[in-house]
Amino acid sequence: MNDDALVRAESLSRIYGDGLGAVAALVGATFTIDPGDRIALVGPSGSGKSTLLHLIGGLDCPTSGSIEWPALGPREALRPGPVSMAFQGPSLLPPLTVLENAALPILLAGGMEAEALTTARAMLQRFEVGDVAEKLPEELSGGQSQRAGLARALAGSPRLVLIDEPTGQQDRETGGRMMDALLAAAAEMGAGLVVATHDLVIAERLPSRWSVDGGQLRTEVVACSG
Amino acid sequence: MLGMTWLQGLARRRTGRLVGQASCVALAVLLLASLGTFFAASRAKMTKQAIAAVPVDWQVELAPGTRPAKALDAVAATPGVVGALRVGYADSTGFRSSAAGAVQTTGPGKVLGLPAGYATTFPGEIRYLVGAHDGVLLAQQTAANLGATVGTKVTIGRPGRSLGTVTVDGIVDLPFADSLFQSIGVAPGSAPTAPPDNVMLLPSSTWQRLLHPAAGGAADGISSQIHARLSRALPADPGSAFTQVVGRAKNLEAALGGAGLVGDNLAAQLDATRSDAIYAQLLFLFLGFPGVVLAALLTAVVAASGRERRRREQALLRTRGASPPRIVRLAAAEALPTGAVGVVAGLIAASIVGRAAFGTSRFGATTGQALAWGVAAALAGLALSFATVVLPAWRDVRLLTVRAAQATVGTPRKPLWSRLYLDLICLGVGGLVYWQAVKSGYQVVLAPEGVPTISVDYFTLLAPLLFWVGAALLTWRIGAAVLARGRGVLASLARPVAHGLAGVVSASMSRQRSALARGLVIMALTASFALSVAIFNTTYAAQARVDAQLTNGADVTVTTAAAAGLPAGLPAAVRAIPGVAAAQWMQHRFAYVGNDLQDLYGIDPATIGRATSMSDAFFAGGSARHVLATLAARPDGVLVSDETVHDFQLRPGDLIRLRLQFASDHAYHVVPFHYVGIAREFPTAPRDSFLVANAAYVGRMTGSAAGQTLLVRTTASPQAVAERVRAVMGPASGATVRDIVTQQRITLSGLTAIDLAGLTRLELTFALALAAGASGLVLALGLAERRRTFAIASALGARSRQLAAFVWSEAAFVAVGGLVLGALAGWGLAYVIVKILTGVFDPPPGRLSIPWSYLVAVAAATVAAIVAAGLGMIRATRKPAVEILRDL
Repeated sequence: MNDDALVRAESLSRIYGDGLGAVAALVGATFTIDPGDRIALVGPSGSGKSTLLHLIGGLDCPTSGSIEWPALGPREALRPGPVSMAFQGPSLLPPLTVLENAALPILLAGGMEAEALTTARAMLQRFEVGDVAEKLPEELSGGQSQRAGLARALAGSPRLVLIDEPTGQQDRETGGRMMDALLAAAAEMGAGLVVATHDLVIAERLPSRWSVDGGQLRTEVVACSG
Repeated sequence: MLGMTWLQGLARRRTGRLVGQASCVALAVLLLASLGTFFAASRAKMTKQAIAAVPVDWQVELAPGTRPAKALDAVAATPGVVGALRVGYADSTGFRSSAAGAVQTTGPGKVLGLPAGYATTFPGEIRYLVGAHDGVLLAQQTAANLGATVGTKVTIGRPGRSLGTVTVDGIVDLPFADSLFQSIGVAPGSAPTAPPDNVMLLPSSTWQRLLHPAAGGAADGISSQIHARLSRALPADPGSAFTQVVGRAKNLEAALGGAGLVGDNLAAQLDATRSDAIYAQLLFLFLGFPGVVLAALLTAVVAASGRERRRREQALLRTRGASPPRIVRLAAAEALPTGAVGVVAGLIAASIVGRAAFGTSRFGATTGQALAWGVAAALAGLALSFATVVLPAWRDVRLLTVRAAQATVGTPRKPLWSRLYLDLICLGVGGLVYWQAVKSGYQVVLAPEGVPTISVDYFTLLAPLLFWVGAALLTWRIGAAVLARGRGVLASLARPVAHGLAGVVSASMSRQRSALARGLVIMALTASFALSVAIFNTTYAAQARVDAQLTNGADVTVTTAAAAGLPAGLPAAVRAIPGVAAAQWMQHRFAYVGNDLQDLYGIDPATIGRATSMSDAFFAGGSARHVLATLAARPDGVLVSDETVHDFQLRPGDLIRLRLQFASDHAYHVVPFHYVGIAREFPTAPRDSFLVANAAYVGRMTGSAAGQTLLVRTTASPQAVAERVRAVMGPASGATVRDIVTQQRITLSGLTAIDLAGLTRLELTFALALAAGASGLVLALGLAERRRTFAIASALGARSRQLAAFVWSEAAFVAVGGLVLGALAGWGLAYVIVKILTGVFDPPPGRLSIPWSYLVAVAAATVAAIVAAGLGMIRATRKPAVEILRDL
């Protein structure tokens, strides 16, 4: 057993509701995520990808099974800090500028304001939204919001980055550049990366592909294509 | 179908918003229904009490040569007359008595012949002080002038002869002497006739025997009146009752065909009550209407707190093809049930409040009145619901693009009023209107003498209205300016709770300044409403107590008509009674100022304040302390009335020669005084002219230091202490013991007929609930609308204390800012209202009374509501709802 594992889960299940109306979003998933892992989580809409991401990120609790973060600490210590997430939907805080949004994880973790803003600004530049840093989220396009969300996820130098549909609102070319930036940043930080997507082009850029369908998780490792 | 589905969705997902809206509608309906019904009942009560305060409704002066029996029949046959008696009036050249070898005489007076049963037909007209209730009765002042008491023989003087001697059976007071001796039939606007200084009441038979021309008396100065009492079944509205009574009087005069003129005391009283009824309306306007407006504003704010979300939902519907009319219908589908639920809840609450505060769900009003106000309040509630939900939706679909409707924060645009500086304009114009009111002596209700109609100077009422609106808008401007330009200051203030997040917190607050300024204004308005209502009511209650104290003199007052005064050992005996804090002498004499006989009060200026309150309003030209010190510094000083200063063109230090009765010969002699100040009111003093001097000087100059009045301050129930004093005095003392509580009940008239205690309870409870509810609700709804924002922050790893920093910073801004600005606005508003409604107060207050305990309770309830709302939100953000996470 590897004690450096970022995440280790055993027979993980998450069922919403109870009785006849119960919906099994994830059933009996067992997996391990190690430092440096690059995992694409694929599956159709409603297959349970987001649920699995929330469980990995400690945002939600399983109804059965176990999950732990040997190298990251207890659930309470995961965020802000070792784990960060970028969400599928609009998730920038409306009253804060893009820059303040990006700096928020650092500030929540106790970072100094000036330093946080500098780091956040650099990360926004990296994701090509540096020019809208002073704007409010509602002034951005969907694609800009998504890129700002990616920048925020990486601004705090996390050890595990969880991304839900990173390029859903980007054109293919921009999506490609965003994946480049994402992979480069994760590599620089030595962070594990899990990306939920149903875009196979995006999925193919990651060495590991896990698929979820009907709440069942299948893990497979694909040989690195480059 | 879509409407029903939409409504079901709202009921499941937006329960808080719907409940909040319905609660606010309920609040508005509750206040409107309760206050409206209460004031309708009050008008009826005012009429009832005005009528009850008149013992003789009509005094029909018979023309010379009229046969009294025929006139009596005509009066008795007039519709509505339930009792009529003939009263004889005769002039006397004076009265003379001889007691203990000394002969006392008085100036001219009146002798009345009263038929048997007069006192029972006209209860209250005669107040019995000492001795028998029938036979020969002498007025209190006459008895004092003659040094007469029960058993004294008094000779009645008539021009050219003495009519004979009668033996005094009792001493009485004539509380309604002004109307009893009025000049009937004089032109409107003529100066009122002062009642005679000396009065004797005789049984009709004695009067006929001694004075009637048929019995050999001279006809000069002899007349007859028919006194009549009317049925009390009059319209509830004072104005309608007045019209009816005047109509009947005119009808009687026509029936008498010149044989008699009607002195209409009842109409005069109802005339005054008409003005009071207008003041009652104004009170409703000033104290009730702002509450209803606030409840309406609160409903609007609650609706607005969900407006962004509603806009987004409606924008979504529009992108899916919903037409503007359909969107408006969906908004109506939300407004109708919330309005209906609010109306039903409000009416039920009003009924409960009425039962709790007044013992009846109709607040003492008739079923018709209660029903009318209930229906009016219900319609207002439904209109409010539609205005706050449907109207904005209709406006949005007309004016906003779908993209704009999806915006949540936006760059706050300066509203039109702000660009036009409407707040400063309102305050400026309000100040001008107020200045105009100051110039006109705060005459809001105009009731010119001799003119049958009364009117309200509604223009003056603009002053408080403009102040209120101006203060609200200025609060908004200040709040928005602080949030926009004071980020650095806000960050510094937030740092103790927000630590490293202080900058982000202040930035977040700054960008939500529209919502926060709205909350601040609501908080300030509710605080100012609570404060102004509380100050007004407390000041009113304080002045009512001052009024009663003026009439009664002190908590408990012992008076005697005897020249010898009260027993010398009485103060010491009274001070020994449990519940007595202080007891002080006061002389009550009579003094001639020229030919005018006035009451003179001899006091010890240094100690009088121990037994009764000396209000600054009692004196002109300085505080009570200052004026009394001036009097004390000059032993022969005297305080006189404004009228005397004017009549005699007095200047401070001027010599005044008064004539006072000396103990040695019971005759009036000149005593020099020096004018040192003006007294406008004084305990036990009449409303017109009187004098206040040093008791020691009066005693030394007249040869008698005896006090006729003992003023007692109590620490226990005045009624209980009065009972104990009566026991100490004994039944045969001849002195009268009165207490302030009973006096307050007796002197209730006019506007005081409004049960302000009930109204105060109602308003203060409402204001408290509104202040606490509004602040808590506005904050809670504002935070609830940002649950998603907090959920995101929580998902990013924000700890509870960090989320709390956002919540508490906003809460503190709204609470502290709202309370401070609201307190300033409330105090200013109370000042303006009290000044403008000066006519309500008797005497006018020298300063505002601040109900500190109530204000602390309002502040505490507000803070508690805000803390509860904040804690609820922090608790809710600890674990974001699953559905919110799934949305991310």
